Amino acid sequence: MKYAYFPGCSIDASAKEYAMAANAINKLLDVELIEIPDWNCCGSIDAVHAYNPLLSVTLSTRNLALAENMKMDVVTLCSACFFTLSRASNMLRENADIKSKVERAINDAGLKYAGEVKVRHYMDVLANDVGYEKIRQKVTVPLKGLKVAPYYGCLIVRPPGIQKFDDPEHPTSMDKVIQALGAEAVLYPDKTSCCGASLVITDEEVMMEMTKHPLLSAKNAKADCIVTPCPMCHFNLDAKQKDIEDRFDVEIGISVLYITQLIGLAFGLSPKELGLHRNIVSPDKILEKLQVESKHGQNVVGKH
Amino acid sequence: MKHNSFRQITPEMTDPSFIEEIKKMPGGDKILDCIQCGVCAGSCHARFAMDYSPMQVLKMAHLGLKDKVLSSSTIWICASCYTCASRCPRGLNIPAIMSGFKNMAMKNNVRAPIELKPKFHKAFTEIVSKYGRMHEPELKMKITNKANFNELKDNVTLAMRMFRKGKLKLQPSKLNSSTHFSDIVKNVLKEEAKK
Amino acid sequence: MKEPKIGVYICHCGGNISDTVEVAKVKEAIAKCKGVKVCETYEYMCSKPGQDMIERDIKEHKLDRVVVASCSPRMHLDTFRGAGKRAGLNPYLLEMANIREQCSWVHDNKEVATNKATALIRGLAERVKHLEPLEAQSTPVNRDVAVIGGGIAGILASIELADKGYKVYLIERNPSIGGRMAQLSKTFPTLDCSACILTPKMVYVSQHPNIEIITMAEPIAVNGSPGNYELTVRIRPRYVDTANCKSCDKCAKVCPVKKFSRHEEGLTQEKCIYLPFKQAVPNAYVIDRDLCLWFNKGVCRVCEKFCPSKAIAFDQKEETRQLNVGAVIACTGYQQLTPELSKEIFDGWDVFSQYSWGLHPDVVTNLQFERLMLQGMHRPSNGKPPKKVAFVLCVGSRMDKGIQYCCKIGCMNSIKHALLLLKAFPEAEPWIFYTDIRAHGKGYEEFYSNARDHNVKFIRGRVAEVVPNGDNLIVRAEDTVLGSQIEETFDMVVLSPALLPNFGTGQLSKMLGVDLGPDNFFLERHHKLRPVDSKVEGIYLAGCALGPKDIRETTVETMATASKVATFLGRGEVKLSPEKAYIIPENCNNCGECIKYCPMKAIESTAEGVKVNSISCTGCGICVPKCPVEAIDLKHSTDAQLMAQIQGTIEEDGDRPRILAFLEKTTAYGSADLAGQTRVQYTPKVKIIAVPSTGRVGLKHVLYAFANGADGIIFIEGDDSPFREEGIREHVNSMKKELSKFGVESLRVVSMTTTLPQYDKVVNLFQTFDERVSKMGRIAPEKRQKITEALAGGKQK
Repeated sequence: MKYAYFPGCSIDASAKEYAMAANAINKLLDVELIEIPDWNCCGSIDAVHAYNPLLSVTLSTRNLALAENMKMDVVTLCSACFFTLSRASNMLRENADIKSKVERAINDAGLKYAGEVKVRHYMDVLANDVGYEKIRQKVTVPLKGLKVAPYYGCLIVRPPGIQKFDDPEHPTSMDKVIQALGAEAVLYPDKTSCCGASLVITDEEVMMEMTKHPLLSAKNAKADCIVTPCPMCHFNLDAKQKDIEDRFDVEIGISVLYITQLIGLAFGLSPKELGLHRNIVSPDKILEKLQVESKHGQNVVGKH
Repeated sequence: MKHNSFRQITPEMTDPSFIEEIKKMPGGDKILDCIQCGVCAGSCHARFAMDYSPMQVLKMAHLGLKDKVLSSSTIWICASCYTCASRCPRGLNIPAIMSGFKNMAMKNNVRAPIELKPKFHKAFTEIVSKYGRMHEPELKMKITNKANFNELKDNVTLAMRMFRKGKLKLQPSKLNSSTHFSDIVKNVLKEEAKK
Repeated sequence: MKEPKIGVYICHCGGNISDTVEVAKVKEAIAKCKGVKVCETYEYMCSKPGQDMIERDIKEHKLDRVVVASCSPRMHLDTFRGAGKRAGLNPYLLEMANIREQCSWVHDNKEVATNKATALIRGLAERVKHLEPLEAQSTPVNRDVAVIGGGIAGILASIELADKGYKVYLIERNPSIGGRMAQLSKTFPTLDCSACILTPKMVYVSQHPNIEIITMAEPIAVNGSPGNYELTVRIRPRYVDTANCKSCDKCAKVCPVKKFSRHEEGLTQEKCIYLPFKQAVPNAYVIDRDLCLWFNKGVCRVCEKFCPSKAIAFDQKEETRQLNVGAVIACTGYQQLTPELSKEIFDGWDVFSQYSWGLHPDVVTNLQFERLMLQGMHRPSNGKPPKKVAFVLCVGSRMDKGIQYCCKIGCMNSIKHALLLLKAFPEAEPWIFYTDIRAHGKGYEEFYSNARDHNVKFIRGRVAEVVPNGDNLIVRAEDTVLGSQIEETFDMVVLSPALLPNFGTGQLSKMLGVDLGPDNFFLERHHKLRPVDSKVEGIYLAGCALGPKDIRETTVETMATASKVATFLGRGEVKLSPEKAYIIPENCNNCGECIKYCPMKAIESTAEGVKVNSISCTGCGICVPKCPVEAIDLKHSTDAQLMAQIQGTIEEDGDRPRILAFLEKTTAYGSADLAGQTRVQYTPKVKIIAVPSTGRVGLKHVLYAFANGADGIIFIEGDDSPFREEGIREHVNSMKKELSKFGVESLRVVSMTTTLPQYDKVVNLFQTFDERVSKMGRIAPEKRQKITEALAGGKQK
């Protein structure tokens, strides 16, 4: 199964490990993500969009046009990119004025977009194209006894008009993957609350207050780790976790994995190829629980 | 002067063409469908940081209170999480409307309660227009108040944390010039100038 | 033909007409028409002085034709015919010109509206010259009544009619009558016990000699005509003999199959052989065939072994019965919104999901709360009394599409529930989360005040989410009055789901031939003056089938419905319209073409020639243009009348394109009236002529219209007509072929089918067709001349 892959700026920089782990597990799942050549920034949810909406939609459309040449569905790893590209696709269909402006901007540079590209999130591919059964079959290290809190965040489940592969209020796709891996999907009240990703640079205080909720409620539910399908959520939950602990004087200490990293562990892949050394909150406790370290004889996770 | 115990919405405070302006934004055509039920305000994950709730901003828009809307912190704090939009019984796309208000505020040079925000939007757009992709170090540099020691310190701390894990991209990515990315950006700015 | 003496009366309608149409100018123009002896204007023609004026003039001036130019004939045709009758004028010699709903209300330019009004009136003035006096035939009616739906509306309607001496068949789909009221605990605002009001009526109905209750029954076909309907009913077997069953419960005690109780809204279980509820009428058990082991696996039948009264009857079969009745009442009630229905209606969105419905046992609906009240209020999760209860209103109601209306009873219900909760547990804390409190009825505001006095907390803000938190439930909302978010923990959450027409309403409406409104409930004939009539004579509506309402309003409405039925059937005969097809024997060559096209199969070939059955004939007129030798015509819509109206309407000053729209006179015409009622503006170039069916208009009329000045012709058929969709399309296409021979472009004729509520579709067609015809310009005079010659030469019919 081949897909036109849109990495997005986060994967390019702070979230490389998400893609590393995805590439590692894709080999086993018969999934091939072929990077769209020379892709540009997705257009941003609002950073560019509020400043220059036409530019934002045009940026998205350039990517869709490049993908159209590949004649495949576009798959993103990042929830925000998924939203932005889908939004542009819808706008081109529904707003004739924007469509003609965007077309003029890209046609002049020799690009055409016929409006045929389908945009999907990687979780959708896992849930619907690969299927939970196949994932279960590839498990060599069942994650027995591991309590995992699936954190969906916002843009992979909302708005209902853009995505339809999972329930917007009570999604279960990651829960099912977690169960297929042999782990326990923990119930906690903040599966779909917002981490405040778009506020991280300008309103850090607000973002930390928002990200605090899923961190604390996952901890209260006795989760060993949190998994997420979005690099922006991951940054807030992982890279900013210490700052949140300091700011609110709370103890959290929960490791945050990308869903692909969790799957990779269950598939028996090494922490190194899953990029676990790049996670900021140490995943040591999990690796110990799973005795992964002893299996591969590698002590690759550095201290935070 | 007689004390007026009733707050008035005077003609000077309202802009009768505001509603028409809003109707032209994406999502704005439904602005008058709002019945102020409050589900958006109740659902909003960032409400705690806003001076007015999303519902109140829509109500102010109904009354033509353009200045109040564009100078609220609400429009800037909206995190585009779409929880409100998925639950709104009247199908309003509130994040799109908030984005439209941001755009209006920046175009009208309305002073934002968080001054950093318009700066951020401008800087982000400039960097992406230049390289085709985001380059966080440059973004941080552009918007950090270099006179503020604490801010600088926090930036450095974060940068080190990321750098140690190989998550800091020091050099910006560059797109292949044969794909005419910069031409496209120029074309967009030309389209905008046509208005 | 003797020169007719026409009286024309132009109504001001209190400004509704005269503010836009300059009635004095119209009067001046019409007074000049040949044959118009009297032409007057007046403030309110329908008032007593207005009607007196007509009567007086008829007598004084010996008028033998009258045109009243005012509102839609659907409003007041009978009123004015009545006035004419009092002066000795045959009702079929009086016509109305619709210059309100189809003129003054939809055009705001005075000059244009005045010209159009003049044209419309002139059309009618020409038409009336060709009218003949007609007498309605009487046909005896069957004085039995079928009531479909055994809830409170059906029960009360049956009692009213039965007490008046009518025989009533009370048809109920479920195994017992009683409907929703049987599930309720107490009613607002009086806190009467619902069962105490309802059950005596149920018993009365069961013992009344004039009422036959048929349960497990649904209508599957309705045939016949008003006053003489044949209702075919399918009766499902209950596998229990109601005559023998003593309700001893021995069968249920031994039955091995459990199921969730429908009466208890799924809160408790009962057996597969069950009594619907203790006070059920008929008070007999019923077997759920879908779960019964005998029907699924061929084993068990233990109930039969233990029944002391030989009441189990596994060999019962489905039956059909044909009921001959004169009138039908549809009072089929409502159902509540569910997650499945929500996904269908709201394009995949489940409105219940944000409230964690189904994820925690203590999130219940208001109906479930009623059952809990009756079981002894407790939390479904642990059986303990609830301490803090949140009431969430408007779940799925008042949306921008799908379900736009208010459920009407949610607010009062939750206030009632709060007060009942406090009565049971004085320490309890009920919180009501609302968007608006609607306390519109008698005693309702006082009831609301009472709740506030008891410290029921009211939070103005639609609940954002309900999140399970261990044993309890967190409710989050914005208190919009205080302007802050609140988060409170509750042990029970009660949802008020939107109300929908009961399942099967759509099918029943098609069966009965009645319309549904834009909200999908049954549509009444007129919002103010005929709120319980359907558009079909002899079929009446009552209760929540018409729209959500409380018990008191249901009762009031039902009394009205019963009264209407009694009036309809009271005289033992119903007058049939004389507007029927008739054969002109001297022209008829017995070719039988008309027989092929009649949708009612009302024409037959007999030994004495082709004959029309005037009882089956519904007067659609489709047969008339099909006759190759002009041997069939339609009373009150004869060729001569139609031609005259076409000519009078199309004639006007000015060189703007002229468009004639032939609208089927009930649904399509009603839709155009609805556009007028909502004051949608549209192009005045379109002038409407009502026809029994657009199939009545044939090629010769269309040619005549083009010859006399028309530039475009519209046909609109009602979607309930047998001529809809395919019928009208083929008819129009065959005409277009002939028109092209005269160089008349086929784009100058257009057709459409519409439902009554889709007036926006109708207006849209008018506008776009006007644009098209305006672009094409007027038809060249030479072409018109050619058509005139062809018509005169008798080449075209």
